[in-house]
Amino acid sequence: MAREVDEHDTPAEVDATFRTIRRVAVGYFAVFLAAVTGVPALSLTLGWWSDGRLIGGMSPAFVMAAFGLYVFFFLIGLAAATLSTAVEARMLGGPAEPEDGTGRDGSP
Amino acid sequence: MNLASAAVLAAVLALVAGVAIAMRPRGASTVDFYLAGQRVGVVTNAWAICGDYFSAASFLGVAAAVYVSGLDGVWYAVGFAAGFVPVLLFVAAPLRRFGEFSIPDFLGRRLRSEHVRLVAVGVVQLIILSYLVPQAVGSGITWQLLVGQGIGGLSPYATGVVVSTAAVAGLVACGGMRGTTWTQAVQFLLLLAALCWLATAVLGAGFDYGGAVADLSTEPLANPTAGDRGWELATEQNRLDGAATASFGEPGARYGRLGQFALIITLIMGTAGLPHVLNRYFTSPTGTAARMTTVWVLGLAGLFYALAVMLGTAARAQIPAAVPAHPWLQELTVDGVLRVPEHALPVLGRIYGGDAGLGVVAAGALVAVMSTIAGLLLAAAASWGHDVYERHINPRATQRQAVWAGRSTTMVVAFAAAGLALAMRPESLTGLLPSIVATMVTWAFALAGSALTPVFLLAIWWRGTTAAGATAGMASGAVLAVAMFVAGIRLADPGLGELLMTPTLVAAPVATAVTVLVSRRTAPPRELERLWLTLHGTAADRHAERLAQLTIRSLSRRPSRPGPDLAQR
Repeated sequence: MAREVDEHDTPAEVDATFRTIRRVAVGYFAVFLAAVTGVPALSLTLGWWSDGRLIGGMSPAFVMAAFGLYVFFFLIGLAAATLSTAVEARMLGGPAEPEDGTGRDGSP
Repeated sequence: MNLASAAVLAAVLALVAGVAIAMRPRGASTVDFYLAGQRVGVVTNAWAICGDYFSAASFLGVAAAVYVSGLDGVWYAVGFAAGFVPVLLFVAAPLRRFGEFSIPDFLGRRLRSEHVRLVAVGVVQLIILSYLVPQAVGSGITWQLLVGQGIGGLSPYATGVVVSTAAVAGLVACGGMRGTTWTQAVQFLLLLAALCWLATAVLGAGFDYGGAVADLSTEPLANPTAGDRGWELATEQNRLDGAATASFGEPGARYGRLGQFALIITLIMGTAGLPHVLNRYFTSPTGTAARMTTVWVLGLAGLFYALAVMLGTAARAQIPAAVPAHPWLQELTVDGVLRVPEHALPVLGRIYGGDAGLGVVAAGALVAVMSTIAGLLLAAAASWGHDVYERHINPRATQRQAVWAGRSTTMVVAFAAAGLALAMRPESLTGLLPSIVATMVTWAFALAGSALTPVFLLAIWWRGTTAAGATAGMASGAVLAVAMFVAGIRLADPGLGELLMTPTLVAAPVATAVTVLVSRRTAPPRELERLWLTLHGTAADRHAERLAQLTIRSLSRRPSRPGPDLAQR
């Protein structure tokens, strides 16, 4: 099932892209981990995080666990996917060069 | 069950069966049976992954956990939803680009080892069985509440387990991945529609979400327990402050300091090692499509779990006041609190929609169970049929024989899971666990996150991973996770017990360390450069995209066929 690789990807290109994508993924994961463990951590350490009232009668901790974190997951996922795809398109192949002689990024 | 709920249930099941039969694979190719021809679009695949992932634990279990434990139950929803972020960042695109049939197939080919493949098959089957049993338990509980009667001398619970498992096994054996993809997509949309209808009905009746959380948080949290004097309400102690009682809106009703983090990390790590979810990524046309599919899943998961948390809160707040007007609630409740928390959503459906409402929610629950069972059975079929039968038992098997091996496997695994579910008695465990279904699924996540995810991530992102390292890592992660479970069950200590029952926080780092240490002493596979190009290069993606563009262009340029009268001239 592993397909033959197109000749346009060289090992050096793939290695550089792999390192960049790994850096992007680790960076986003660090932010994600801080947020997802930060919400329960704040509940354990700060009284107002569990006792305060934000929307209706919900505490900031409940608002984050019931709504906020899901919005955050979607946004961080969208940002990471967009950036990773852009990095791959820029560093590996991308669309074939147009006939007017301009390069992948539109430069001559 | 009256006519209205029976009609709703029958209509939903007929729709699902119709889709499975209409979309069944036409040929006898294994790529078609296991991978739906690798042509599943981004949105369809996202719906199918949601159908696969949102099981009884998500539909009944999350609302039940919130109902019983308040904020501590919400961590289930957070963990289940968060799990797809690491999948997106680290797994989705490279996994698809390598493009195999199953997780053991991926590991076996990446590390060039049949030994790794067989060890992975063992771990995958253990995860699948741990995940299948709570789904079967969920279907038994739903049948018990909805129908209340058994068939052929079986109890209502046993009938639910047997009927749902047998029905799904039949649909999967018939429909393969192509039929299952479409049934899972339709099942997810039905599930979401049921949840949205219930949320609209509850909010439309004037439910004040914020006010309900505030009101519930003013009094101690109490839940029914069965004692010598029968059922009675017992106040929950706060695990963070032994002298205080637990409250709905504050942490401590179920987990201590370490337990909350252990649960969240277990669910996050586990998602990236769930075979039935990851197998779906092989059906995407490209790695980029797999990545974008995950973005859709994150959005849909957020909506789904936010609604489930709200409805768990609504059930806690509204059922006590509904008991006088709905006498049927008396046998299900103790002083207005449900004995079986998984009944929260079906009961809410019946309060707001009568018997038809109960039918809608129960159909949603059965659909959730069925779609997840379908995904699990397909994953089991792929690993037994492809990785064991085709590779080791009958390497000269024809495509037809291989597909039949997969079909036979689905039946065997389905009946093994049903047998284990029948041996369990959910009522005896409700006092011990926040939600029996959600907790049992957490065990599957713990096993996946401890044994598979660390090896999987290292195989994708570290060139130095070797077959010996991966084997040692999987074995140590699985053994440690199971040992910690057993110790956690035997040790009733609330502090250490929580950590032992959600062992990923300890077992995953150990599995990672073992994999790295053993890999450093052994040699990585030859042809690593070529494997790396396939795993992290995008040439195949670009090739597939160009082919698709050319096909679309050629179709749009093709002159329309002249009509019969024009052709005659």
